[in-house]
Amino acid sequence: MNPQLQILIALQDILSLIREAKDPSQKRALGRMGFKMTNLEALEQTRENLEDQLSPAIRSQYARAKKRYGRIVAPVINGICYGCFVKIPSAIDTAEDRNQTLYRCENCGMFLFWVEK
Amino acid sequence: MKLSEILAPRRIALDLKAKTKDEVLEELVRLLRLSSPARKTLVKTLLAREELGSTGVGNGVAIPHCRSLVVSKVLVAVGRSKRGISFKSPDGKRVFLFFLIVAPPVGDPGEYLVVLGTVAQAAKILAKDRRIKKVKTPREFIKLIKEIEK
Repeated sequence: MNPQLQILIALQDILSLIREAKDPSQKRALGRMGFKMTNLEALEQTRENLEDQLSPAIRSQYARAKKRYGRIVAPVINGICYGCFVKIPSAIDTAEDRNQTLYRCENCGMFLFWVEK
Repeated sequence: MKLSEILAPRRIALDLKAKTKDEVLEELVRLLRLSSPARKTLVKTLLAREELGSTGVGNGVAIPHCRSLVVSKVLVAVGRSKRGISFKSPDGKRVFLFFLIVAPPVGDPGEYLVVLGTVAQAAKILAKDRRIKKVKTPREFIKLIKEIEK
């Protein structure tokens, strides 16, 4: 897997966690099950550390996607970008270097990740 | 939803070798049989989740969980440690039983919480059931869960 894509995926997962920890209804539901989400600062620090590992060009694309969508990587399932639900050109969808090369959706601009089945 | 229906014998390890929190998360993630980069990413996310607050729920049980892009459906793995592992649980006790839950960020948003709730409920009962220590195979473990769920 492309190392920058690996960082972007980790960042996206952490952004999901941060969103979950800030969402009162999610926090309540998880709290009822016995899960506490209190140390948000540590998570923000991890996010910053990961952002620092992005190359300047990728970081600026990341910042744009994050600002616009709140997410940065879209999974591709059955040839569909799950960021905007538009079909990916088949040349890209069937490319041998997918997940090795950093591809972005031509429609929404999010980074693409082909999920293992 | 029943826990016994979402468990798979290949994702159950009844003799975890791990001695630390990091090691146990790695060992549990290995049960999901993902590629090496996906595994590494998932362990990072789970460790970040632990930073937010321990997923140890007390009585020797922990339920590490997160949403991650690296999976395409909700996956559950189970691990039992005979020695127990320090997991910063609220009651300070070592953890003997682990349920790992990973869900994709897309799809039914409620499913993740339903699975988490189902596991949390079953784990509470299981923690007090002495039969859990005697279970020898993954199939016996699933059979025990089925009995609890009756």
